[in-house]
Amino acid sequence: MMRKFVCGICGFVYDESLGYPEGGIAPGLKWEDLPEDWICPLCGATKVEFKEQETVIPEEKKQSSLDEEHQEKIRELSFKELSALCSNLSKGCEKQYRNEEADLFRQLAEYYDSKSSAAFEAQISDLAALIEADLSSGYENANRRAAAVSDRGALRALTWGEKVTRILSSLLSRYEKQGETLLANTNVYVCEICGFVYIGDEAPEICPVCKVPNLKIAQIQRG
Amino acid sequence: MHAVRNIRLCTKDCLCLYVCPTGATDTETGQIDASKCLSGCRACVDACPSHAISLIPAEFPPQQEKTVSVKNALLTLAASKMDQEEIASKLAETTGNPVLRQLAEALGKSNRLMAEDMLRESGYMLPQSRTVGELLESLLSEKQPADFPEAAVKRLLELVNGNTMQEGKASAFEKIDY
Repeated sequence: MMRKFVCGICGFVYDESLGYPEGGIAPGLKWEDLPEDWICPLCGATKVEFKEQETVIPEEKKQSSLDEEHQEKIRELSFKELSALCSNLSKGCEKQYRNEEADLFRQLAEYYDSKSSAAFEAQISDLAALIEADLSSGYENANRRAAAVSDRGALRALTWGEKVTRILSSLLSRYEKQGETLLANTNVYVCEICGFVYIGDEAPEICPVCKVPNLKIAQIQRG
Repeated sequence: MHAVRNIRLCTKDCLCLYVCPTGATDTETGQIDASKCLSGCRACVDACPSHAISLIPAEFPPQQEKTVSVKNALLTLAASKMDQEEIASKLAETTGNPVLRQLAEALGKSNRLMAEDMLRESGYMLPQSRTVGELLESLLSEKQPADFPEAAVKRLLELVNGNTMQEGKASAFEKIDY
């Protein structure tokens, strides 16, 4: 029986009966016979991000530990978080054509950026560890809490963020395996709305995560 | 409520000039003169064939309440994303390898955007939100370093604070005159 596999990042469907002739994959090719380094033609996700369509298990509803959560205090914002909060408010002002306010929030964001820079040695492995922590517990925890109170805005942001984080995880593991050849003779793009990172010759028509048209997808230059 | 023009969409059909009763759309700045624009008139909005003109409300709906539980979970993720931004920026700054620098720049930008989105949804959706006003006020009430941009914060409080509708008006959206 022919099966279908769905990309967990962008929703692209690999149908075994159709193959992917545009990418040189003949109709009828079994999922397990697709090369291990095959990537989603739409968003560049690796094979591990795909799930078989029939076997999608509905998410189990977990009892939230409300008692514990009720006793929480609101977390204090760090300088780095204040910076991101202000840079986002600056964008919000731009959308309302409030240029003076946008400049002031940008000034505050830069101030908090300058306060948070500490001296340390950066490692790719530190990045990978944080990404794995977000994927193994951060999103699950936040999704459970947001679903418990039907917070649609939070659920929307978490859906985009989790997809983008999976892409970053898959990019880091590809970089680890392939090194610089990953980016040889091709381009790097970032969606300025959701943060989706795309490696390819041309930016996709619309962002596969948030569906914004590619006028909002920026190229990251080298050098 | 006044009209604004999205310059990226405007195809210079100039029907807004034709229909505007006050000449508010007739400027050399590309933007509509808010002081001449009649609140809620929307003649230009309806006339524009490119959908380049929209109305900006004078008052915004209040910020939706966020539970402490959701807020903290979002802030935890935002903190992780900003740590990742910091590592990525440091990598981009210090590496001699242009390919790694390009990748690190993309990762840094991506993480900042995700952090911004988490923070926006943790109760700071609009610059006019009460939560933003309270945050700015709390910054002024705390002792700050000498280089803290106090004047900027004070000016922001003058400009954006208190522009949302009263809390408790559940039908806030109905009050907007579409």
